[in-house]
Amino acid sequence: MNKRKPGAATRATRRGRSARSMLGAGTEHKTPSDSFAVAAECTVADAGLLKIHLAKLLDASAIVTLDISAVQRIDTAGLQVIAAFVRERESRGRQVQWRGQAPALSNAARLLGLSQVLRLAAIGAQAVETAP
Amino acid sequence: MTIDLTQFHDAFFEESFEALDSMETALLKLDIGAPEPELINTIFRVAHSIKGGSATFGFSDIASFTHSLETLLDELRSGAMQVTLAISDLLLKSVDVMRAMLRSTQAKQPLDIQKVSDLQFDLELAIAQKNPAPPQPVATVPAVAPGASFSGSNAGAFSTVTPNTDAASAAVHVESTVAANGADTPAATSTSDSQPTAACGWEIIFRPYRELFARGNDPLRMMRELAELGELSVQVDTSALPRFADLESQSCYLAWNIRLKGAIREEAIRQVFEWAEGDCDLELRPMGAPATLAAVEAGTPGAPSSGASAAQATQSAPAVAKSVSTADAVAADATLSGRSTGPEEPRHEAATPAGTATQQATPVLTAVKETRPETPVTAIGDSGSIRVSVEKIDELMNTVGELVITQAMLSQLGNALEGPNAEKLRAGLAQLERNTRELQESVMRVRMLPISFVFSRFPRMVRDIAQRLGKQIELKLTGEQTELDKTVLEKIGDPLVHLVRNSIDHGIELPEVRTAAGKPAAGTVHLDACHRGGNIAVEVSDDGGGLDKERILAKARSRGLIGPNDVLTDDQVHELIFLPGFSTAEKTTDLSGRGVGMDVVRRNVKELGGKIELRSEPGRGSRFIITLPLTLAIVDGQSVAVGSETYIIPLISIVESMRLKETAISRLSGHNEVFSFRGDYLPIIRLHELFGVEPRARALHEGLVVIAEGDGRRVGLFVDDLLGQQQVVIKSLEANYGHVEGVSGATILGDGSVALILDVTGVIHAASLRAAA
Repeated sequence: MNKRKPGAATRATRRGRSARSMLGAGTEHKTPSDSFAVAAECTVADAGLLKIHLAKLLDASAIVTLDISAVQRIDTAGLQVIAAFVRERESRGRQVQWRGQAPALSNAARLLGLSQVLRLAAIGAQAVETAP
Repeated sequence: MTIDLTQFHDAFFEESFEALDSMETALLKLDIGAPEPELINTIFRVAHSIKGGSATFGFSDIASFTHSLETLLDELRSGAMQVTLAISDLLLKSVDVMRAMLRSTQAKQPLDIQKVSDLQFDLELAIAQKNPAPPQPVATVPAVAPGASFSGSNAGAFSTVTPNTDAASAAVHVESTVAANGADTPAATSTSDSQPTAACGWEIIFRPYRELFARGNDPLRMMRELAELGELSVQVDTSALPRFADLESQSCYLAWNIRLKGAIREEAIRQVFEWAEGDCDLELRPMGAPATLAAVEAGTPGAPSSGASAAQATQSAPAVAKSVSTADAVAADATLSGRSTGPEEPRHEAATPAGTATQQATPVLTAVKETRPETPVTAIGDSGSIRVSVEKIDELMNTVGELVITQAMLSQLGNALEGPNAEKLRAGLAQLERNTRELQESVMRVRMLPISFVFSRFPRMVRDIAQRLGKQIELKLTGEQTELDKTVLEKIGDPLVHLVRNSIDHGIELPEVRTAAGKPAAGTVHLDACHRGGNIAVEVSDDGGGLDKERILAKARSRGLIGPNDVLTDDQVHELIFLPGFSTAEKTTDLSGRGVGMDVVRRNVKELGGKIELRSEPGRGSRFIITLPLTLAIVDGQSVAVGSETYIIPLISIVESMRLKETAISRLSGHNEVFSFRGDYLPIIRLHELFGVEPRARALHEGLVVIAEGDGRRVGLFVDDLLGQQQVVIKSLEANYGHVEGVSGATILGDGSVALILDVTGVIHAASLRAAA
């Protein structure tokens, strides 16, 4: 039986990473305490930059706090980057916690079935909540 | 940071043009008075999506125009307006204008604003003047004996003689009610009996391709629209999500299994995914339809066998997802409605106990995905297809052509080999030959398109011309699925248009004339395509008056094309109409009769390596039969030997081959030789003389004569020997060397030598020039 993962489509093209040399160009800012404020716009156009910012936090030993209170607009591409980040952190046994509320983000996660992956189950109840 | 939308323009234009074509087709199918609701929905959807797209991209002119159009269509859809001939004309004109607008926007050229605004005004006027639906148009309904029983679910309810109309308008009204209640999306408003509605809901498997985001699609938007249709529960599949470092932020790695509860029409769901068409795999299944799943289950080791279908197993996955580690990548989400159950509770009565499901549910999910290719995929439209540029295919074709030649060389070499391994080598070479041939055929099939691409333009054209000439024409299309090479397809369009125009203009008589002759008032023009041998035959026939032999002869005499006392056979008379500048139309219309007709048609067909025949019966109609090669890249040829050279004669131009008896040969004055062939005398062309080759046989009875046909003339080509028939890959001589009269191309033979492919018409021409000199 073919052991290939079902979704691991052969279509995946390696066109090189979408990393752009736009570090620090966004409204995001990184505080020393391993927290990160996600920008207001979090759509496919911003996903590349978001990924670059989050990549720097991937190995952080402390708990990473994502401040989502500024998020106004988010789409699947943006959420996908965040989901991949959270998942990868967890697989390394590291945690991500949320700060603030973002109806746009939690609605999107709910509609896309990503709440569980993001550990967003009860987000919005408290200002700061630790991922399980 | 804003996204650059221009990268999506091409896709938008391409899709819009296609959509307009389907809108046009639907419009032509629309019955005046009793339109089919589904057709109106199709038309509406096109207008709606073009409006949406053009608004997104800021093409405000198009958006504004389509908005008016959409409003009108909405009135038609709701039954507030009736489809009349005038409305149908207006809509067809709108298609033309939209096409023109899209074209000029695409080419960044100025719009004909006057034309657009005129038509827009007409549209709005039509909306403003809308009349309530007139009483039932009884006349359009086929006569049905009162009291006759109707099969069908709703027929019994109606006892009038116009059940169809009643049913149709009833359906329209139902729609309007739905439209009033429904959400803003057009999807919610389109209801019709013909479309499947799942009573309890749908399971949707939505697997976007990587490039979905890049094509401007956002699954989030689709989910939002789905949530408006019914109760939505979403399960995301993150298994394709790569390591963070490998993630391409613009690629979509997620896939979804969606359950949508409620009485929702399939069409409504498809519409949500309309813009993602071609960028995703989409599978829709009514809930509680385990047909495809049962098969999956059967092949799944460890699947629950106690009557719980795979669907249920999939269902139970959410229940256990909490205990499944995130690495397993199947995450579940709560049902979105308020009355959702908690994730721990089994959602299905027959769900497996939560404890065992941990082991079972995930494998089942995997199995469902892995067996997907075998399960019938009901994806939107032609999903699963990709657009590939023609150059890429040509390149592939070329390479395969080279491969065929190399393979032929190897085979020849292998056959000459001796020794212990020679047999093995030959077996391998035989396999190589088979595979090469299959590869070649596959590549050729990629280039093949159904002839419906050409046929589809005719309904509109015939309608317009018939209207203009006051004739009644019924167009019959058959064999639309016959496939032929794209290049051939593109070039056959114009000749066919010409033939169809001619049929309508010259062939079909006016209704009065037809009725007087005892024929139905409406004439029939029939377009047919079929495979015949290795060729495609496309036929244009009509049941009109047929060719008027006397008029053609008179015309030919007056033009001095034939002598006053020449007696011509029917075939020879038919030949006359293919002469340049020949037209018998009494008055020149803008349709035909300008004398640039049949000769051009014949030339075009010949350029494609095909031929055109004409059969006509006075009073019964005429038939034009075009025979075309399947492809331009390969030709079936007869290889002949002339001295040390090999030439290829296309099989399509060969009538037969024979050895001549000396008694059959006559010599005319000068150098000319003819031979008798079935009561005719045909000229002999010695190929060795024409091409300046030293032959093996000089005496005519020592060699062979290939009787070939070109330009309506038959000649005998004198050759040394026949070598065999084979398919050869055509290499352009013009591209590699230059044009040579009498030669249409070259090919490389198995031994690596080059053989010229003869163009029989050119050979005849060259020979007659020589004879005249």
